[in-house]
Amino acid sequence: MKKLLLLVLSAPLIALAGEAGTALKADSVRAEPYADAKTTGSLSKGDSVDILSKKGAWLQIKSKKSSGWVRLLSVKRGGASSNNAVGGAIDVASGRAGTGKVVSTTGIRGLSAEELKAAKFNEEEMKKMESYTQSASDGERFASAGGLTKTNMAYFKGAK
Amino acid sequence: MRNMEMNKLLISLFLAAGVFSTQCVALDLGKALKDAAKQEIDKQVNEVKNGGEAAPEATPAPAATSATSATTTTPAPAATTSPAAAPVLPAGASPEATATTEKSQQEFNWKKPSKAEEIALGREITGSILGAAPLVKDEALQKYVNQVGRWIASQSERADLPWKFGVIESSDLNAFAAPGGYVLITKGLYQKMQNEAQLAGVLGHEIAHIVKKHQLKVLQKQQLLSAGASWITDKFGKNDKLAKKALANGAEISARSLDKDAEFEADRMGVVLASRAGYDAFGLPEVLQTIGQTNKSDNSVALLFKTHPHPDERLAKLGDSAGSKLDNVKAGKTLENRFYKLN
Repeated sequence: MKKLLLLVLSAPLIALAGEAGTALKADSVRAEPYADAKTTGSLSKGDSVDILSKKGAWLQIKSKKSSGWVRLLSVKRGGASSNNAVGGAIDVASGRAGTGKVVSTTGIRGLSAEELKAAKFNEEEMKKMESYTQSASDGERFASAGGLTKTNMAYFKGAK
Repeated sequence: MRNMEMNKLLISLFLAAGVFSTQCVALDLGKALKDAAKQEIDKQVNEVKNGGEAAPEATPAPAATSATSATTTTPAPAATTSPAAAPVLPAGASPEATATTEKSQQEFNWKKPSKAEEIALGREITGSILGAAPLVKDEALQKYVNQVGRWIASQSERADLPWKFGVIESSDLNAFAAPGGYVLITKGLYQKMQNEAQLAGVLGHEIAHIVKKHQLKVLQKQQLLSAGASWITDKFGKNDKLAKKALANGAEISARSLDKDAEFEADRMGVVLASRAGYDAFGLPEVLQTIGQTNKSDNSVALLFKTHPHPDERLAKLGDSAGSKLDNVKAGKTLENRFYKLN
């Protein structure tokens, strides 16, 4: 059933139409995806919304009270009452959601606190890990191969 | 704090050097003693340069011995009057602590492990996690994750660490950081990701823990290190050996929680580190969204949810901290095409 749903929804990333979301905090709803755009309404924490699309740092939403753009960090994907039932449309769109949602696949094990406490040092695996080490210049080459360029950004201060 | 102690140490080194040269002139002890003194000072200066900060290894054997015997026999430890011993006293040691010099040294080392010691601790912890869950046998994957991780780490304040990354064989959703630049993520979490920016965000979060020494602080608080005598008597031993002795249980620390604030801080820094590296800023939040949709009763998130605030809370905090700072953030790359697909 779920697999079928995944297949049907193989839409481009932007098309989030119909995905349920929940406001994680109170925030303004704006006419356009800019901080200085006109405020058209507001969300209260816990409000249910429909997520329509995404642009940069913004999500286009529709709620009972208002519609427009909010900061994407203010909205959680999925309905308020469901912890799990609603699969994310973003996962679905990428075609990768099926790989991990249900993780009780045979042959792969979890990692519990008890297992970590009982664990014994494994020198062989450690050496293997060390053998994959990349230098700073390896990293730079890799970045430029991907067209990545450094930008300056200061760390954020913690919110009160 | 660190600088102050460094300064204290340097001052005491200078004092010691001054005393030595005066003695040399006054008593005409000749070149041999001068050289010996110089060697000792050079050794200690080097350790300072290497970030050793008068680690107990720098303790000359006789001083350590006298300190030990002082606890049982000598009422006033000779160490306090000997110029040679001056630099080896931990900067934080108060006069009344002289009777328990070893303890002071233990605490001192704890708070200010050298870079080499930090790496050795991290190696011990990481090797133990690998004992519970080995690396995924896929060299291309491991190399890829190291390339992404190394580039992110280079944007941090500790680019000098020998950063190492690995994907481990576990269906859980989790990631681990250990002091000195060791980062592991589970195969389960990796498989939840859809692009390189998401991987960058997750690695950025773990890198931030190491940059901020969050685990070290937990080790200090919870007294998992049983440093003490072993750090002193094994002063010429390998750091690795010391780390093994110092940790009650290698991987146990990884099953413990950090402060909530440490997690929120790592989230904030992870987003910024990924952005600095040229990636889309929202990779980490996207992964948090995905994790947040996993049912709490699912075993794959049992440990993660036990040791971390819920993703909803993390997202909300991140949003509060970011405020308007990400509103017009330059669109970074997501590189989904380069993202190494793991089946």
